[in-house]
Amino acid sequence: MKVLIIEDEQELANSIAQYLSEESYRCEFATTYQEALEKVEIFNYDCIVLDIMLPGGSGMKILEVLKHMNKQDGVIIISAKNSLDDKINGLKIGADDYLTKPFHLAELSARVFSIIRRKQFDNTNTVRHHEITIDLLSKTVTVNDQEIILTKKEYDLLIYFIGNKNRVISKSTLAEHISGDFADMLDNHDFVYTHIKNLKKKLTDAGSHNYLKTIYGTGYRWEE
Amino acid sequence: MKKLLDHTLKPFIVYALLVLLSSIPVYFFLVDWIWSKELDENNQLIAQRIENEFNEQNINDEQLAESIRFWNNIQPVSKIEAANRTLTKDSTYTIRRQNPYSEHIAVDRFRVLERIIIINNRYFILTVETNVEESEETIAYIAAITFIFGIILITGFIILNRRLSQKLWKPFNHTLQKLKSFRLNNESVVSFQDTHIAEFKELHIALDKLISHSITTYQSQKEFTENASHELQTPIAIIKNKLDILLQDKSLTDNQYNIIEEINLTLLRMSRINKNLLLLAKIENKQFEDVQQFNLANTVDNAMNELDDFFENKQISLQKNLQPAIVTSNQALTEILMNNLLLNAIRHSPTGSSINIRLTGHQLTVANAGTLALDKNTLFDRFKKTAPDTKGSGLGLAIVKEICNNNGWTIDYRFEHRQHHFTLHF
Repeated sequence: MKVLIIEDEQELANSIAQYLSEESYRCEFATTYQEALEKVEIFNYDCIVLDIMLPGGSGMKILEVLKHMNKQDGVIIISAKNSLDDKINGLKIGADDYLTKPFHLAELSARVFSIIRRKQFDNTNTVRHHEITIDLLSKTVTVNDQEIILTKKEYDLLIYFIGNKNRVISKSTLAEHISGDFADMLDNHDFVYTHIKNLKKKLTDAGSHNYLKTIYGTGYRWEE
Repeated sequence: MKKLLDHTLKPFIVYALLVLLSSIPVYFFLVDWIWSKELDENNQLIAQRIENEFNEQNINDEQLAESIRFWNNIQPVSKIEAANRTLTKDSTYTIRRQNPYSEHIAVDRFRVLERIIIINNRYFILTVETNVEESEETIAYIAAITFIFGIILITGFIILNRRLSQKLWKPFNHTLQKLKSFRLNNESVVSFQDTHIAEFKELHIALDKLISHSITTYQSQKEFTENASHELQTPIAIIKNKLDILLQDKSLTDNQYNIIEEINLTLLRMSRINKNLLLLAKIENKQFEDVQQFNLANTVDNAMNELDDFFENKQISLQKNLQPAIVTSNQALTEILMNNLLLNAIRHSPTGSSINIRLTGHQLTVANAGTLALDKNTLFDRFKKTAPDTKGSGLGLAIVKEICNNNGWTIDYRFEHRQHHFTLHF
């Protein structure tokens, strides 16, 4: 899988690449508008991580070029601007997702994972993990061909874990994923535990192996 | 408060009255003096003529005595008497006498000239009298006229003052209105009416300078907030991502993991303060101008669903009574407002208490349990924390207030029955 990281902030680009490459993605970089344009025009990528504000031009233009060339690359916009207009515009022009800085790499990883899987038409938008099958379009989960009913939050968590296989995800990261910016205002993050406990129970009840391991007391890791 | 021109009017009126009053005796003495002088001259002329006429008759002493007796009988204003003494000088004086033909008291004043005349080489005393206007009457007439002029003067002053204060102060009042309606965050430039009065012109120049300086300062302050918040997002993002990578280190201990978690939470708080400051700057910059009509009850429901983890977390029960309320506003801002109000209620509620939400056609009240009333005056200020250990950004209610201002809504707070009530009027 090839991922292009278009980001002028070197440290940020490095961290993203380092985190994603563990997922066996091959990462390439572009730090300026011009460089990004050249790469996008010549190569095809499974996913492009696109910063909006670039030296030399706007990331939105790159998005337009992609659309104009009829490219199927998945695009996820990462922007320091939490602007609804930018978000709507970006999604309208053809971006698949929009993430506001600062974000957790686990969040980005999960979204890149979903975008790539959604773009694979041959696979009919399903994710398989041993006995667990997830249909990304209908948002249904089956274990050994038997459907299990998950709440929206449980489903989100499952995708999050599968998009971050073998990675340690802390409780606060999960709380942030579920509650957004407000997570730090909570007195405790026990609700994360409740949702995870329910998810685990539903999966194992349906006959799934327990892949979700607790680590460092409050962290989690989805193991293959 | 008195108007400025009224202050000048009073001394003007007092001064005018004093001048008019003091003019009364001056006029009286002047008129009296002119009277006496003219009458004395008149008396002299008459005396001269009498003396000459008698001498020109060339009559003997007997006829003369007869004539004088006759003269004295029919001439009311003069009298000729034989003189047994010689007067060297003419004598002039004023006498007062009761009018013999009047039945009531009517004292007349006369100017008298006594002089020695010589007829047929014999000395006679000639007395000539002329009626003079009485001094009381003169004073009365002068006072009356002065009084009438005084009234005309004062009425004129008052009318002029009223007209002047309207006309003179017109540019000033115009400027005042402009200043009253001036709002820094409206970004509208104030233009003052042209005036040819030096003082007002100077005032306008000074005000223009002051206002443009304030606007520039305000703008740069806003820009600074927006830029600073913006620029901080990237370093926060870098730290956050480095922590994510550090978390994957195989040799991490439980203790190190916990430290990373604490840093994570602090970073989260930092980025929320940042985002909130940005949001405030954007609201002030009027970047949420697109509005639509929607049912506020739906917004409240959505916010409650979004925050259900928070409710569960503190075992807070919710009592709601929502009636449909159609509002016209920016939807994103209204969602933020609802979230902030609810979050505020949840965070300051004791565990296991209940929150009451009531929505009617024109107002929304969120009530939660509390022990002490909060300070109404600073409650909605930025970074004014009410509780010492809160984790909030200190901007939640400031944002609520700013959104209300933006929408033309109002929010007020009261403490009743050991409950904090926040009421939104829209």
